[in-house]
Amino acid sequence: MKGLRKCLTPFAPDQSGAVSVLYELGGIIVVVDAGGCTGNICGFDEPRWQNSKSAIFSAGLRDMDAILGRDRLLVSKIVSAADRIEARFVAIVGTPVPATIATDYKALKRMLEKQIDLPVITIETNGMRLYDVGETMAYKALIEEFRDRERPSGRNDSKLILGATPLTYGNSYLPMTIEDYYGIDSGIEAVAASTSGIEACKVCGLKYTVECNMAHEYCEEGRLRGRVLVVHDEAFGLTVKNRYKGYCETASFFAHGQRRLDEEDDFTRLVREGGFDTIVADSCLAPLVPFYHGAWVDAPCFAISGRLL
Amino acid sequence: MNRAVSYTAGELAVSGRDNIPSELLSGAGLVYSSPATLAYNSPGAEGYGVKRAALSVPESVMLIVAPGCCGRNTSLVSNMPGYRNRFFYLLMDETDLVTGRHLTKVPEAVSEVVSFLDGLEGAGVPKAVMICITCVDALLGTDMERVARSCETALREAGYKDTRVKPCYMYALTREGNRPPMVHVRQTIYSLLPECRKDPQAVNILGSFAPTRSDDLVSILNSAGYKTIRQLGDITAYDEFMKMGEASLNIVTNPEARAAAEDLRVRLNIPYVELTRVYDAEKIDRQYRSLIKALGAGDINSAEEQRDRARSAAEKLRQQFPETVFAVGSCCNADALELSLSLVRMGFKVSEIYTAIDPAQFVYVRKLAELSGNTRIYCNMEPTMINYDVSASCAHVSVGKDAQYYNPGIAGVSWNSDVQPFGYQGLADLLTQVYDRLREEHR
Repeated sequence: MKGLRKCLTPFAPDQSGAVSVLYELGGIIVVVDAGGCTGNICGFDEPRWQNSKSAIFSAGLRDMDAILGRDRLLVSKIVSAADRIEARFVAIVGTPVPATIATDYKALKRMLEKQIDLPVITIETNGMRLYDVGETMAYKALIEEFRDRERPSGRNDSKLILGATPLTYGNSYLPMTIEDYYGIDSGIEAVAASTSGIEACKVCGLKYTVECNMAHEYCEEGRLRGRVLVVHDEAFGLTVKNRYKGYCETASFFAHGQRRLDEEDDFTRLVREGGFDTIVADSCLAPLVPFYHGAWVDAPCFAISGRLL
Repeated sequence: MNRAVSYTAGELAVSGRDNIPSELLSGAGLVYSSPATLAYNSPGAEGYGVKRAALSVPESVMLIVAPGCCGRNTSLVSNMPGYRNRFFYLLMDETDLVTGRHLTKVPEAVSEVVSFLDGLEGAGVPKAVMICITCVDALLGTDMERVARSCETALREAGYKDTRVKPCYMYALTREGNRPPMVHVRQTIYSLLPECRKDPQAVNILGSFAPTRSDDLVSILNSAGYKTIRQLGDITAYDEFMKMGEASLNIVTNPEARAAAEDLRVRLNIPYVELTRVYDAEKIDRQYRSLIKALGAGDINSAEEQRDRARSAAEKLRQQFPETVFAVGSCCNADALELSLSLVRMGFKVSEIYTAIDPAQFVYVRKLAELSGNTRIYCNMEPTMINYDVSASCAHVSVGKDAQYYNPGIAGVSWNSDVQPFGYQGLADLLTQVYDRLREEHR
């Protein structure tokens, strides 16, 4: 049945992806929710949160705020926080509540920019799409907001790597700073390290290559054999496919250019019909294919299982 | 850099109950997200939120009908003992949000889940399916009671006539309203109880979802003639849960269970008595005497053993660590202000309290101001808590997970177990834990 999950828990949503990109950039991040979404993002999807502070806030919406569309109240809360906390920018991250009441993010941005002396970006996530979409939206918002600023001298442009957040890379994520987004133009060559990196490069018109370092260890001699199926992030899959000399099929729950999986049954069907000898995927998917007796190379994907690499 | 905003108890007492600073009120500003506020933002991440609470019904499963983000952290609970094959999801998409079509899919989804469990080795047909819906359906005005009835009809047609379907509302938007989610979920759970023949010796304790542990309360109830004491957290079979309907009295130990107790009074004619968890030995004594008076039976001396334990624990702590200074948080099984006042009355000092203040709690602030006017009160949610400076604290021991977070270098007692402390036993256990931690720290 479409949308019914009997085995897997929901994957990291778009709002978690957006915060993953924004975390540690020095901004005030306001999740427009009643509290639960912020709790989910921080308490589950953001492994850095337990050990490093970031100015993440819940808007603390209550029913009447949503019903009456009290945008001015939200703006005044943000202004009050911005007056008392050092920050480089303000980011407003959407959730299902503003999606339901059709919040006007452009208006919020304009209202805020009149009252505070900080750049404001808005990311219209809605909690119903997946993390790669939220990451892409955050990259796009950051690049559009900061690309006109002068790029600090000495910055090695070849190091612009997009998509290496903890949701894909776990503890091997690559930290970024807000200056990384300064002065990005079409001349810069980027590395797309995950699905969101690929999409961000596309929407921002950047030249890019796809490379997922994390995938290299899975391609080592002897780990893969016969017909191989890789189910992970798109960049992960492409990297394995490019390195493996035999037959390799890739699919992903977070893909745009590959075979797309949406339902639990999609994966089951793919494995049943594929005749694979090796599956490279998060082991939480194994219960979906009890009939499969080939090799399984466990490749944890935080956005799927919440397991860190 | 702005320092974290705080006020002394003395300052607050002067400004009065009607002028509590906005920084100390829940919901007045943005809510800072730190490990100290996780339990506020996402009750299910620690302890019992709506999802885990609803699954306190033995032999039940849950279908979460919501956007994916609402069920994301359920992975944590799914991996805990007792929750395998109990969570299922019907994920909403953007079209569902606009058209509400997801509601038409719920009966089919429930039937598919029950059928799946029926055929699953080690599982079986659930006795109840709890349908959890979230903020989106709160705003859409979904009539989930009606959908639940449709689900029961679909199940009957599929041959599962004994499985009940109940909605539960994880509406974070209404957390400060008249019927917040944790109140509503208790009403839902106890609405399953049937009309039964009354047993004059049976009493229920309605509190949390894990058991309340208090030998003194049990002794007093026994001395009043109540020999069968049931509470949800102790019950593992649905049929045994149904027997809670036999009770001739409900004891409410958590205000969030009051509405459920009132429902049972009206529907099943079970009266209830409400007790408050306090850590002041004198108040505990007064409360038990009032309970005995209300019941018209019981012996106050039946609580003697635990009362003496509490007295000894307090004396031992005072003798060994007479100058102990506490930092008390709200992420614990206590009212932070009441606990702080009790500790001060026992002769200890409290340097910091981390809690939002509800006007109903102001009585504690006023009394604290008289005895310990310099005690500082911070609010976990306040945005400037990002700048909290631990070096300003002189506390030796923290109580509460939030207080532990702010004071990482000192002895800490989290005091936030699922199992609920109560009465003299709760007081004795807390003071014993504090003593043990301080001993460890001094070694």
